[in-house]
Amino acid sequence: MDISPILDGFGIVLEPSNLIYCLIGVIVGMLIGVLPGLGPGATIAILLPITYGIGPVSAIIMLAGIFYGAQYGGTITSVLLRLPGEASSVVTVFDGFALARKGKAGTALGIAAIGSFIGGTVSILGLTLLAPIVAGFALDFGPPEYAALGVLGVLLISSIGNGNKLKAIIAAAVGLLIATVGRDTFTGAERFTFGSLNLAEGIDFIPIAMGLFGLSEILYNLEERHNQVHAPAKVGNVWPSRKDLGQAKGAIGRGSLIGFLLGVLPGGGATLSSLAAYAFEKRRAKQPERFGKGAVEGVAAPETANNAAATSSFIPLLTLGIPANATMALIFGALLIQGIQPGPQLVTEHPDVFWGVINSMYIGNILLLIMSIPMVGVFVKILRVRPAILAPITVLITLLGAYTVRNQVYDIFLVIGFGLLGYLMKKLGFEPGPLVLAFVLGPMIENSSRQSLLIFGGDPTGFFTRPISGTVLALVLVVALWPLISKAVRRKPAPVPAGPPADPPVEPPVEEKTP
Amino acid sequence: MPITDPLEEEVAEETRPPHAGPVPQVVAALVALAVGVAGAIGSFGLGLGELTHPGPGLWPFAISIVIAVLSLTLVVTGRGLQDAERFSKATLLTAAGLVTLILLAALLPLIGFEIPSLLLVCVWLRWLGKESWRSSIVISIVTVAAFYLLFVLLLQVPLPRLI
Amino acid sequence: MTILVGYLPTPEGDAAVEAGLREGALRSERVVIVNSPRRGAPVDEHKIDDDASAALLARARAAGVDAEVRQPLHDDDLAETFESLVEETGGTLIVIGLRHRSLVGKFILGSEAQRILMEASVPVLTVKADR
Repeated sequence: MDISPILDGFGIVLEPSNLIYCLIGVIVGMLIGVLPGLGPGATIAILLPITYGIGPVSAIIMLAGIFYGAQYGGTITSVLLRLPGEASSVVTVFDGFALARKGKAGTALGIAAIGSFIGGTVSILGLTLLAPIVAGFALDFGPPEYAALGVLGVLLISSIGNGNKLKAIIAAAVGLLIATVGRDTFTGAERFTFGSLNLAEGIDFIPIAMGLFGLSEILYNLEERHNQVHAPAKVGNVWPSRKDLGQAKGAIGRGSLIGFLLGVLPGGGATLSSLAAYAFEKRRAKQPERFGKGAVEGVAAPETANNAAATSSFIPLLTLGIPANATMALIFGALLIQGIQPGPQLVTEHPDVFWGVINSMYIGNILLLIMSIPMVGVFVKILRVRPAILAPITVLITLLGAYTVRNQVYDIFLVIGFGLLGYLMKKLGFEPGPLVLAFVLGPMIENSSRQSLLIFGGDPTGFFTRPISGTVLALVLVVALWPLISKAVRRKPAPVPAGPPADPPVEPPVEEKTP
Repeated sequence: MPITDPLEEEVAEETRPPHAGPVPQVVAALVALAVGVAGAIGSFGLGLGELTHPGPGLWPFAISIVIAVLSLTLVVTGRGLQDAERFSKATLLTAAGLVTLILLAALLPLIGFEIPSLLLVCVWLRWLGKESWRSSIVISIVTVAAFYLLFVLLLQVPLPRLI
Repeated sequence: MTILVGYLPTPEGDAAVEAGLREGALRSERVVIVNSPRRGAPVDEHKIDDDASAALLARARAAGVDAEVRQPLHDDDLAETFESLVEETGGTLIVIGLRHRSLVGKFILGSEAQRILMEASVPVLTVKADR
């Protein structure tokens, strides 16, 4: 493997301006991870207009920093307040809060930070080794493969996410439909424009993302006032003892692996992997009853896994151009804004972006380790800030930011409109994530399937006879029909009237706020 | 995946508002159905073309049909779902917040960003956040001044402005 | 009949509890120690934890006074919170601690103590921290 582009990537990251953007990104990520309310998705969406002002590498470095920084920050509220800042820290609550109650909050935070650092770093190493290989493999992909992959991505994210699958798929389909608004690139026909000049250009990604992710979350939070105020917690010593570290070692190792693997899968992501890592540790533990009562492994495993997953979810984005979760869809959009098409060509055509972003994560994780061990006290203090004071400021950033993209008030109204839509969707149990993701992938799926039809001479069976697109489409069918299959399988063994089902579905107890 | 812990229920309890019952569920599904049907009619009008030469309407038509069919399924099966939240008195807060946003967008090109922003922040703090008058006024002035400094003086963004 | 004592974990708060318990013993009335955190933020540094409130109750027991700790949330209406507690518990006296604040501090933050003094329907006893 030629390592000179990797070294060049470090050169890019170590440029002072990029270091500063990385620092800003991880600090912002850490902050919003601690503060209840805005999640990383909303924050990245709100900050999208900034990407116009700064170069692509710096922009993505910063946005990525927000994403994985939030994973660190979410731990703090889980441990101290039993309040998972992010959905991916939900399971950390069980043992983290139990440890805090025993006066070992510092230990829990320290172990989580070390685990996060190791998980993140292992995952970046995997990313460094694996990403170029996957990208090289994907270089031969043609339109049919991309069409199939796009459909698979949309479907996976809709069906693996939380909540009702049917609703998620409807939301995704609406996203695909919205993506068709504007001039058709093949025929030049205007679709769903109703004679409006603004609509003829199509609907821009930024207002959609800012509205559906950013503003909708602010509006939604207006209603939900936290009626619980906690006394300040005593954090204590953050440096874990040798005994605690010894106990957590195995969990950190396994958590890294689980997180890396699940993060790569589209739709897997941080939340699922933290659940899986926790359950795995509990299952293999000699005394599973310790879990929930302050087991160090119960903090180490999910926190390691969610960070590893956050990092490895960049692989499908950077190598195939398929965002693995809604936040990756935002970063996908940010790259497109800069005129960079994420995909297998990225590593050869834009090695600066590819390696710059990957290598920035090494630096970012070191910065986060510093912020979450010696400086944890600073971030704990942030919990005293009232979200009600921050809400109008974020609203103003959102609206004025949306204006600055093209200097058009029309864009502000679009953000408000999509903000309202997102709010109503959240209230009615539809996740906005699949809609945004499908919107991003929509043009690619449409264009490549139409190109494929032209290649096949109008014969749609061509999709199934090519080996790779055929395999992917077979996977699509499995995913689409999975609820039916699993129902059929589950119905076969004699139903046990009393007692819980043998393998209840994984459902995180907290609704995901814009992953 | 057995994660049985009393804490889990507590966590869930704290964050989940009461669910909304069947009417909003059905209404939401019907709206989605309407989108699907309208989309299908609209894209049929654009011309579907043939598989050898797909027209501009083929792809949106296919999606619209998917939306319509799935929404219809949701209308039928989704009545008992409990994932929608009740619209309560607190929803009025959101509605009020939304009105201030629309006002800001409408006033921005007319009188610049300063006064609408000031009002928006102040209203959000005083009535939506229940801050005291004093801190509402101080924070909103400081916020707008900071925005002026950042957007106008430092970044030199061409925001419509009064001063 | 009860005596309401406004308590924050500060020297002024301790002085208020001290005075409140003394009054409680004198008048043989129950003492309600009010530790009201501000609603909104996840953490308020003025809120006391269970250990601290147990310690307060122990102090009351040592003084021979029947006491309880209440922690109602308040928005921008601490005076009203006190007023409704007066009504609910049949309060006869409010005891609060006072601290010195600069003119600027008073202008920016206002004075909760002053509002309680002005709006309370029962006598208010104010105390300063021990030197």
